[in-house]
Amino acid sequence: MPTVFEEKKKGKILRDPSVFERTIMTPLTSFALSPEGVRFETQEDEEEVVLFLRQHLVVLLGPLLLVVFLALAPVSFFPLLSRFLVLPITIPVNYIIVGTAFWYIVTFGFALMSFLRWFFNIYVVTNRRIVDIDFVHLLYKEFSEARLDKIQDITYKSSGIFSVFFDFGDAYVQTAGGNIPNIEFLTVPHPAKVVKAISELLEKQKSSL
Amino acid sequence: MSPDVTNIALIVFKFFVLFGFGLYIVFAAVIFRQEQLMANVLEESFEPVLRFAAGLHFIAAISVFLLALLIL
Repeated sequence: MPTVFEEKKKGKILRDPSVFERTIMTPLTSFALSPEGVRFETQEDEEEVVLFLRQHLVVLLGPLLLVVFLALAPVSFFPLLSRFLVLPITIPVNYIIVGTAFWYIVTFGFALMSFLRWFFNIYVVTNRRIVDIDFVHLLYKEFSEARLDKIQDITYKSSGIFSVFFDFGDAYVQTAGGNIPNIEFLTVPHPAKVVKAISELLEKQKSSL
Repeated sequence: MSPDVTNIALIVFKFFVLFGFGLYIVFAAVIFRQEQLMANVLEESFEPVLRFAAGLHFIAAISVFLLALLIL
């Protein structure tokens, strides 16, 4: 006899946890578990990004304040300064126009450079290795990686009132072998979660062997 | 100061200003090129915005140079 009606079974709908936990990336993302739409240089075909990190947004605070000051200086600080300074010559208007335009372009350039350095300095943990890509300055790139089976020790450090308040710190990954560099995740958000994520990955790898 | 000395001083000053702006154009070009190389390191959806910003910065640097050439 064909089934006419079948009562739906009540219960939890099981989802693939890896899909459920995927993080959607934004331009200001500094901590992402299983991020969507991210690929990095030298990433292999079967390699998946488990954790994506940048430095905490707090490192952009200094440059941001400086940019705000530089942007407001021509309209507030310089007129104030010109009242108190007695100059022997009068600056022609065309020099003021060109100088102001150049000032704002340099301010924009500084802001862009600061953001680019923060944006492209990344730390990536995949199911195979840990990668650290540093742009020390614009023309100097440092690429370090360590395979998961070479990791010996993971620690983190978080000190000071700002790091406690904003939850950021440094995570250190010690590797075996003299040729493989130790990886340092400096000023990253949620360092305890970073260490936990890497530890879980290592345990998963050991149990699959 | 006689007018001739003032004119010569202004011309020399203009030369140094334009030289400085020219150096900045080179710096802006380096930023633009470096952004392209950085984008090869990390593929992300926000990259076109950064490329536009770097390109805009480069064009603005050239524009200020031309402005200085014309009005100084």
